[in-house]
Amino acid sequence: MSAPARQNAPVGRAVVWIHGDSLSPTDPALEAVPDAPALFVFDRPFLAKTEVAFPRLAFMYQGVRDIAAARSVEIVVGGIGEELAAFAQRHAATELHVTRNFTPQWEETLQDFERRNPNVEVLVYEPDRLTSYDGPVKRFFGFWKKVEAEVLGGNALYAPQRGQGRR
Amino acid sequence: MATTFIPGDLPDEQLAQVLGQTLAGLYTGPARLPDRPGGRTAALSALKDYSGKDYVGRNDLRGHVSRLSMYLRHGMLSIVEVAEHARARMRGRDLSEFLRQLTWREFFLLVLAQDGAKVLGNLEEPKYRARWTDALPDDVREARTGLPCADAWVTHLVQGGWMHNHERLWFSAYLIHWRKVDWRAGYRFFREHLLDGDIASNALSWQWVASTFSAKPYFMNQANIEKYSAGRWCNTCTVQCPFRGEYESIEGQLFGGPVNPAPMPPRGNDRRGGRR
Ligand SMILES: Cc1cc2nc3c(=O)[nH]c(=O)nc-3n(C[C@H](O)[C@H](O)[C@H](O)COP(=O)(O)OP(=O)(O)OC[C@H]3O[C@@H](n4cnc5c(N)ncnc54)[C@H](O)[C@@H]3O)c2cc1C
Repeated sequence: MSAPARQNAPVGRAVVWIHGDSLSPTDPALEAVPDAPALFVFDRPFLAKTEVAFPRLAFMYQGVRDIAAARSVEIVVGGIGEELAAFAQRHAATELHVTRNFTPQWEETLQDFERRNPNVEVLVYEPDRLTSYDGPVKRFFGFWKKVEAEVLGGNALYAPQRGQGRR
Repeated sequence: MATTFIPGDLPDEQLAQVLGQTLAGLYTGPARLPDRPGGRTAALSALKDYSGKDYVGRNDLRGHVSRLSMYLRHGMLSIVEVAEHARARMRGRDLSEFLRQLTWREFFLLVLAQDGAKVLGNLEEPKYRARWTDALPDDVREARTGLPCADAWVTHLVQGGWMHNHERLWFSAYLIHWRKVDWRAGYRFFREHLLDGDIASNALSWQWVASTFSAKPYFMNQANIEKYSAGRWCNTCTVQCPFRGEYESIEGQLFGGPVNPAPMPPRGNDRRGGRR
């Protein structure tokens, strides 16, 4: 299950966390470390207190399954914090790769992970963006005026943000 | 608790049964497959099949919308990929309107990135004297309000896991303004059933309708529903319609008078500046 040892590899042992917004083999974090094992967690505490109909969970599973067809993926049911830590330990990971997620809980999960796993470096990748706009947002109309030319012109006025970022 | 592992290669024939058992107690409703299959392969073929022709008629329920939202939501398609596909396949106003709608998604995500968990509470004061109750009424949840249109919207949501944008607008306005239910009950109902349900687009669209993230509440009337559904429900409807009337009288009835005059003249048939 573990990543094949890379000869002369300067980097440590990488693992990837895939979450609900990154269910594709083309996820930036997955593509960055193609040999690394990946983890997907069905979040037990969240699902125990939140009503979610089954088809949605099956839909997500089908997304993970397509990734698992091409590389090593572990699918577990549990608390994300504990499962991430256990997964990193199983693989003696020194790096956790993940694509940014805008939900408030994601940030907390990673901070918690870093506290509990000080020896694992967390590397965050930016998801694709339609625009380069980075300022404050208030109403759609104002936002649209700022990005209209870029969106309709199709010429990215920005450098693609697919790079990896250190936290 | 010992870690529960799930195999990564369950075929669709076994999926509902095995996943349903493993996740017992962690979901609502019967264990069944989604109406549209998930995954990168399914997503790519749905994208390839979408021509976007006549997208500009998207407000009509028969309009040619993409139904790609669940793939975008879960990262099975990236927003750049979808925009590039549109630029390659669509032309003129079909293209510009599609890209503009796609931009709503990015907008809502940026608001979430900026405001975090605050988007789950009122971002602004409602623009009318709102008294909302907390719980989703049972007759709404069970699609037995007696209104053929409203019951159909709920059925689409619960059975198909997807609703047309105009149905989402009508339903949310019905729930918040006619039934006087807090938008968060609607948000949770959508989160339970939508395959594309998320935090950003879901919570912020509800707030947009409620007027806690917009200058005035969104509402419609019967003529608007009839027009954009081609009379699907209205033609044979026999119930006392709560949506019937001119906008001015409905506004008085729902909000106690005109709310915060629109900054722009309403376009089309929806009572609101700035169409979505
Ligand atoms: C009360 C309410 C709740 C909503 N909840 C969600 C939600 O949880 N998740 C979600 O993705 N969308 C939500 N929407 C927005 C919109 O209704 C759906 O994105 C759209 O109907 C999806 O259908 P489609 O893929 O055929 O859209 P298309 O018209 O084909 O548009 C293409 C893509 O653009 C994006 N998009 C289009 N319109 C909007 C919009 N108004 N807001 C945000 N994104 C848009 C979607 O990603 C969509 O897949 C909500 C709207 C309302 C009124």
